[in-house]
Amino acid sequence: MRAETLKGHLDGILLAVLEPEPRHGYAIMEALRVRSDGQVDLPTGTVYPALHRLERAGLVQATWSAAGGRRRRVYQLTPAGRRALDAERSTWRDFSAAVTALLQPSPAVASSS
Amino acid sequence: MTRPGPPETDAGPAVERYLAEVTARLPGPARAHGGIVGELRSGLLDAADAYQSSGVPPAQATGAAIREFGDPARIADAFRDEIAASQARRVAVTLLVTGPLVGLLWIAAAAVSHLGLRFGQPWRWTGVPPVIHLVFAAVAVTACAALVGIATTGRLTRWLPVRPRRAPTAAAVAGFGAVGADGLGLALLAGQMAMAPGRLSPVLAAAAATASLARLTLAGRAARRCLAIRASLT
Repeated sequence: MRAETLKGHLDGILLAVLEPEPRHGYAIMEALRVRSDGQVDLPTGTVYPALHRLERAGLVQATWSAAGGRRRRVYQLTPAGRRALDAERSTWRDFSAAVTALLQPSPAVASSS
Repeated sequence: MTRPGPPETDAGPAVERYLAEVTARLPGPARAHGGIVGELRSGLLDAADAYQSSGVPPAQATGAAIREFGDPARIADAFRDEIAASQARRVAVTLLVTGPLVGLLWIAAAAVSHLGLRFGQPWRWTGVPPVIHLVFAAVAVTACAALVGIATTGRLTRWLPVRPRRAPTAAAVAGFGAVGADGLGLALLAGQMAMAPGRLSPVLAAAAATASLARLTLAGRAARRCLAIRASLT
């Protein structure tokens, strides 16, 4: 899946990846790859500005940590971020159910083939 | 946790070149981007480490990490929107907080001075030069534009469709509104000093004038900076 396909859903996806535990930028990217079975393959650099945008919107909180001698910015969900993730999930469920229903071949087409 | 690590700039020439390509496209002074650069650098090093531990030789691991990060222009564009929004927000918040303080100083100065003013409802004030209405208008413009700037950069952005240029525009309008309000206030003071300086309360008038002069200078500079960032947005 390319960045264009994910457009509009990146925020929700990032929040979901941060739900279990706080992570830094590269760990978020790795978690995205693992959780999507390698289907999500964004340019890693685009994740960082998106995280800053979520921080400004109050959905994540960032702190610097220096574990292992490398300074990393670690992101964690805020309560508002958790609520936004819940909202994103229910919107997605409705949307995907509707699109799945719409994309189903209609009975006439299915029987003629 | 805070054990000092290797020097932060020791990331190899290819990584530094990549970071320089990103920062060259960011608005504002280089020192303002230290956080972004540090974060991207550690991300690139993490990515290179990951390649190395999966068997890629060190020399090629850095190149692979850089390719994985993607086009520096694209990252810079996304960060530019972010920098514009956070700067606009800072300017709008500062103007909204300092406005009432400066305003109170002027009101105190006017009240303590012997200007023959009669306070009550603002529209019934007597002895006030008509220019004061322009000051009120400038204050109103500043406050409204600052509120727009804050609304389009904070939590409301989850529900509002946001265009990147809106917040810097609002912050610039707020800044110029503050310049107008402070400038008119200083002009009124200058007029009073020319006509009847003896009636002024020197301490409070000086305090109000100093505060307004400082705010005028800073607001003008911030507004121009917001316009410059706005122009750099694609």
